[in-house]
Amino acid sequence: MKRIFIDPAKCDGCKNCSLACMESHRQDGGTGIYTLDLLDPRNQSRNRILSDGKGGYSPVFCRHCDIPDCAGACMSGALHKNMESGLVEYDAEKCAACYMCVMSCRYGVPAISPDRKHIIKCDFCAHLEEGPACVRACPKKAIEVREV
Amino acid sequence: MNNCTDCINCNTCPSADKPMEEYIRRIPLETAHHRVEGQSTKCGFGLQGVCCRLCANGPCRITPESPRGICGANADTIVARNFLRAVAAGSGCYIHVVENTARQLKNTGLHKDKIRSEKALNHLAGLLGVTGKDKYDLCVKVADAVLSDLYRPEYEPMELVEKLAYSPRVKRWKELGIMPGGAKGEVFLNVVKTSTNLSSDPAEMLVSCLRLGISTGLYGLQLTNLLNDVVLGDPEIRTAPVGMNVIDPNYINILITGHQHSLFTYIQDRLLDDDVTAKAKAAGAKGFKLVGCTCVGQDLQLRGAHYTEIFDGHAGNNYISEAVLSCGAIDAVLSEFNCTLPGIEPICEKLKIKQICLDVVAKKANADLIPFHYETRQEDGDKIIDEIIEAYKSRRGQVPMNLFTEHGNKNTLTGISEGSLKAFLGGSWKPLIDLIASGKIKGLAGVVGCSSVAYGHDTLTAELTKELIAKDILVLTAGCSSGGLENIGMMTPEAAELAGPNLKAVCKELGIPPVLNFGPCLAIGRLEIVATEIARELGVDLPQLPLVISAAQWLEEQALADGSFALALGLPLHLGVPPFVTGSKLVTKILTEDMVGLTGGRVIIDPDGKSAANQLEAIIEEKRRALKI
Repeated sequence: MKRIFIDPAKCDGCKNCSLACMESHRQDGGTGIYTLDLLDPRNQSRNRILSDGKGGYSPVFCRHCDIPDCAGACMSGALHKNMESGLVEYDAEKCAACYMCVMSCRYGVPAISPDRKHIIKCDFCAHLEEGPACVRACPKKAIEVREV
Repeated sequence: MNNCTDCINCNTCPSADKPMEEYIRRIPLETAHHRVEGQSTKCGFGLQGVCCRLCANGPCRITPESPRGICGANADTIVARNFLRAVAAGSGCYIHVVENTARQLKNTGLHKDKIRSEKALNHLAGLLGVTGKDKYDLCVKVADAVLSDLYRPEYEPMELVEKLAYSPRVKRWKELGIMPGGAKGEVFLNVVKTSTNLSSDPAEMLVSCLRLGISTGLYGLQLTNLLNDVVLGDPEIRTAPVGMNVIDPNYINILITGHQHSLFTYIQDRLLDDDVTAKAKAAGAKGFKLVGCTCVGQDLQLRGAHYTEIFDGHAGNNYISEAVLSCGAIDAVLSEFNCTLPGIEPICEKLKIKQICLDVVAKKANADLIPFHYETRQEDGDKIIDEIIEAYKSRRGQVPMNLFTEHGNKNTLTGISEGSLKAFLGGSWKPLIDLIASGKIKGLAGVVGCSSVAYGHDTLTAELTKELIAKDILVLTAGCSSGGLENIGMMTPEAAELAGPNLKAVCKELGIPPVLNFGPCLAIGRLEIVATEIARELGVDLPQLPLVISAAQWLEEQALADGSFALALGLPLHLGVPPFVTGSKLVTKILTEDMVGLTGGRVIIDPDGKSAANQLEAIIEEKRRALKI
């Protein structure tokens, strides 16, 4: 099983990870940073870089927790822990948009979708063979994928 | 500085010039080609032009969750402001060059110094409507006419614009309200406009780019060439060697970099004087040679017929300057402007190469600054020469030689200008117009501007050029694009084999290559004179011509100012990478679509040589149909 590990001390707040996430999940069929619409709410990033209030940054990434708060709070079964891959997976079809996951996640990862009918959350770039786009985009190697 | 000794794992960027790519990969010194990989992670906000650091609240970046900066500026304002700032800075660079060039002509007149082309002087004086008592007085009057326009406030229109520009264009510019005021004032005004919490109007800022484009193009480009022709001599068509083979280690070699050829005039003549040659011989060399690099080398090559003794030839463009220095046989770098890369500094230090700057605007960190002053040029020149001889004596034998004598070629066609090309065609543009009308030449493409390395050294420029000539489109080049294309043989007569059947036949009949080398980026102004003269002969406006411009590998702010001139002229302008504007849908739409309705021009973005050539060919064919040819 793989996880994203974070070293906040290395983060410069460049948000390249956020742009890589947006690019990886864009729905308009386009490719390449130049055509990525930075104003389209549907392109919202699944990760976030917050200020830590002390001059540094707190990168917020889904940990795909062993005992996930989000899946525990999910009444419809849209979120569940895949014990084989280790990922916390989301099935939008089952989602009732109750936002309990948004309320429960201790890291603040799940976000409400712009149309308020779903949530958006890291899927570990399941569609990319090479793994999560955010990790590959980080120039400081503040985030990395490790086998656990 | 990378002190590697093992080149096995060295990762350099690809180059259109394969022998050069291999040479650079083996250099035991770090060059821009080596640094590309380390800088390959780009900032997406920067690429889209939506990072604003104009105030201490920033940097602010635009995302779906934060669509405005703290001040409230949206993506359109931030993008347009960044773009206009870049165009204003680029304009400032070229206006600095024309200012120094005009001052040089004025001093030439005042001191009754050497005038290499009275023909060029009379032509320019006629164009500007200036008369004088004698040729020296005429130099002063011509220079004053240019300088007084440059120094006007921005609220006073420049007087020479209507004399230099094509009348249908002037008419359109007046309708759009983009006739420029004093060129330096325009730069000043627009820098102010783009400061913190000043203009927030993206449309107005883009219109200002056009105004800056006109002053940059007519003065910084066109006039710089015409002024230089008087002092430095008219370009003459001839063949010349290019590439690193031009370097002869038996001489004291001076690499020249920059854009202000007139600042070298005194030294380049002095280097041939008997007493100076004797000093070189006493130091153990055969004499002095200048080796060309960047646009000033292209300009010297263009006028090389007047300088066969002192000028060895053009080695290459900005992004091989580090490689050229690494060969060991260069003893000094004389620089006066960009594109003098900071990357040459550690190489010069390691190889004991003397660096001297002639203009403070391009002062390199470890160079001596000996600013060019006309009044003290003799003593300063002798001081520079003595310093260079000292460098030669202290370094030769101490530093390793890594010559590359097989690089480049010996028969690149050069010396092409609006004047020499017209003379070659028999004193009229009619033969060229006939070839275009008959379809033997489908159209003209100016592949101009810089060389860059982030996505490959000259790779897009070369691919696009090959695609265009294969479609029977005659390519005209000016800038570091020339330097890259000539080193890979595109300006040798043999390159005709790469052209489409019709263009190939024309090239073989006339003995010319399918890519015509106008020299430095300043000569983009010459291409535009050619275009204007052809349009005038046909009685059409510039946007109607089957002519496209590509700054495929544009690099700098200056290129964006040049590009703004192309748009003001109403020409389609291809760029390989966007000029940091795609974060604003409004700015992108104005540049790529709505501009057609304003000036007739537009920006075309395409990073692929093949598809860009297809797009440009389609535009040329559309214009041919409209002209019914």
